[in-house]
Amino acid sequence: MLSRRAELFVGLGVIGMAAILLWLLIPGYITIPRRVPIPALSPAFWPNVIGWTMLLCGVLLTARAVTAPPPPDSIADDLRFTRPELLRVGALAVVLVTAYIALPIVGMVWTCMIVYFLMVLMTGAKRPIWGTVIAILLPLVLFYFFTKVAGVAIPQGRIVRLP
Amino acid sequence: MTFLEALAAGFALVAQWESIFFLSLGVLVGVFAGAIPGMSATMAVALTLPFTFALTPISGILLLLGVYKGGIFGGSIPAILIKTPGTPASSATAMDGYPLAEQGRAGEALSMSLYSSCIADFISNMALILFAAWLASFALNFGPPEMFTLIVFSLTIIAGVSGDSLIKGIVAATLGLILATVGLDFIGGTERLTFGTVELRGGINLVPMLIGLFAIPEIIAYIRNPAAREQRVRALGHAALKWVDFRRSLKSIFRGSAIGVFMGAIPGIGAAPSAFLSYSEARRNSPNRDNFGKGELEGVAAAEAGNNGVAGATLIPLLALGIPGDIITAIIIGAFMIHDLTPGPLLFQNNAQIVYALFLGLMASSVILLVVGSIAIRVFRYIADIPPDLLFPAVMVLCIFGVYAINNSIFDVALMLVMGVVGYIMLIFRFPAAPFLIAFILGPMLENSFRQALLMSRGSPEIFVRGPITILFWCLTILSVVMIIRATLRAARLKREAARSASRLEAQSKT
Repeated sequence: MLSRRAELFVGLGVIGMAAILLWLLIPGYITIPRRVPIPALSPAFWPNVIGWTMLLCGVLLTARAVTAPPPPDSIADDLRFTRPELLRVGALAVVLVTAYIALPIVGMVWTCMIVYFLMVLMTGAKRPIWGTVIAILLPLVLFYFFTKVAGVAIPQGRIVRLP
Repeated sequence: MTFLEALAAGFALVAQWESIFFLSLGVLVGVFAGAIPGMSATMAVALTLPFTFALTPISGILLLLGVYKGGIFGGSIPAILIKTPGTPASSATAMDGYPLAEQGRAGEALSMSLYSSCIADFISNMALILFAAWLASFALNFGPPEMFTLIVFSLTIIAGVSGDSLIKGIVAATLGLILATVGLDFIGGTERLTFGTVELRGGINLVPMLIGLFAIPEIIAYIRNPAAREQRVRALGHAALKWVDFRRSLKSIFRGSAIGVFMGAIPGIGAAPSAFLSYSEARRNSPNRDNFGKGELEGVAAAEAGNNGVAGATLIPLLALGIPGDIITAIIIGAFMIHDLTPGPLLFQNNAQIVYALFLGLMASSVILLVVGSIAIRVFRYIADIPPDLLFPAVMVLCIFGVYAINNSIFDVALMLVMGVVGYIMLIFRFPAAPFLIAFILGPMLENSFRQALLMSRGSPEIFVRGPITILFWCLTILSVVMIIRATLRAARLKREAARSASRLEAQSKT
């Protein structure tokens, strides 16, 4: 069960998303042909219906958060990140974004080896030897499965290419 | 193609070593994946999906169906051994399974779970074979207005039963619907929400989205708090089930299977309500009702029968109407799409041999599950002990390779990661993922049938009430909405009362 504050945040967030959709994305990023014989056939018709439904739901969620009795602290879920949690999730985000950028340059196999090893380190590296062995073997096995069996050209990068 | 010709062609497809091999492999992978705490049947099916595109359609789909069937049974293993249900449906199994494990009878509970799962699965597959073709032949008469009203009806059920907050379910569904509109408009060919990106012109790919939605949030949750996954696995004990225990549970197994078939055939209900209903009916009718919750084998049998009875029946709306009944069948649609097959009434007309091959493969899967489960039951304890610090990084690597392989697209990897963040935000703010995914799949069908109907009628909305079928679906939709609103109001009242009494207790304890 979320706290009143979190539910209020969710409601306002949904209103915000609906507003962005209705007044920013639909007018700016949906091309409507000059002649639409029936308004319901316009490409913007469904997105508008969805946007207004989302807005209504956001208002209802906000109203419920304001009017419903808040759950006591003992049963309300704590959504706050502790410092170590924040550090680990932040590090994961950095690793994944870097990996995405590195994929075409370094190649998928080497990138995935590093990603695996860094993720093992992030969780305390309780089994470093197993972690290292799997970090090396798993991407290689997947590479050979996808290239030799499935015929997929896995990106090899520009540094070290596999046979 | 006549029924017998289609059946013979289907048999020829299934009676090949590849088909049986991939089906067995799927069951094995599913059982193992389901047995690992933190993995679920859903995640296992999603991760297997990219590997199917290198296979023939029938082998690929049978592989996934094997993972599905094995994963549902496998989910009962952590529920029994460490009280960590892999799926909400396995919670009912944990109610008696874990007390049995505490008494050193985990092996008996697992055996009962396996036998009741196989029987329920077989009954459910029979129901699929009996009803899917009949429903598909009926659905062949559906035009765009009938299809539109059917999808509206399906969406109301799915939004209503997918979580503890109806409004959050609808918000999740609207998110899925809006993402489904991305791409080129199918009437005018103009761009919608593509932001000028070429990769988005064909729409958002299903596979990266669903892998991002179901696998990545679990990885993020693990990295955030690795200690939460450390569990103590119970000893297996004596594995053989006594015949007398099995015989006295048979009635509950058959009742649970019937409940599962009925509830599975309705899109959106899913396995959890079925497992709990089957469990409560067994408790109500059992002479050992006082023992339920304390370690009763009949309780495990009933819960597993209700859970697995859904598995075949949930494919009825998928194969006959093209409407996924739950998350896993929504993922299985991805396998059909990869092989240019569209589930629905036309599949029975154009690819009858594949449909009948699937039916025969499903029947075989019940037997394979029995064999694989019986052999593997003694090693489950070690599977449940696989360290998560090695498992979750491996899942991430599998996700990256698998998602890339579908379309040879690095953009899809980015899409998966973004959807993973969206999925994690939904997870922590308690938004259900099922309506999101199902709305994403049904969205294009809903919009296209709506617009095709309006084109047919030249803009007249009367076409949506043009005959008995559309009127029937509108009536069912209204009935469903009324029932959902009543259930939601009742649940909200109970929640308010619980919050008030908890607040009172907290205030009293402070004073």
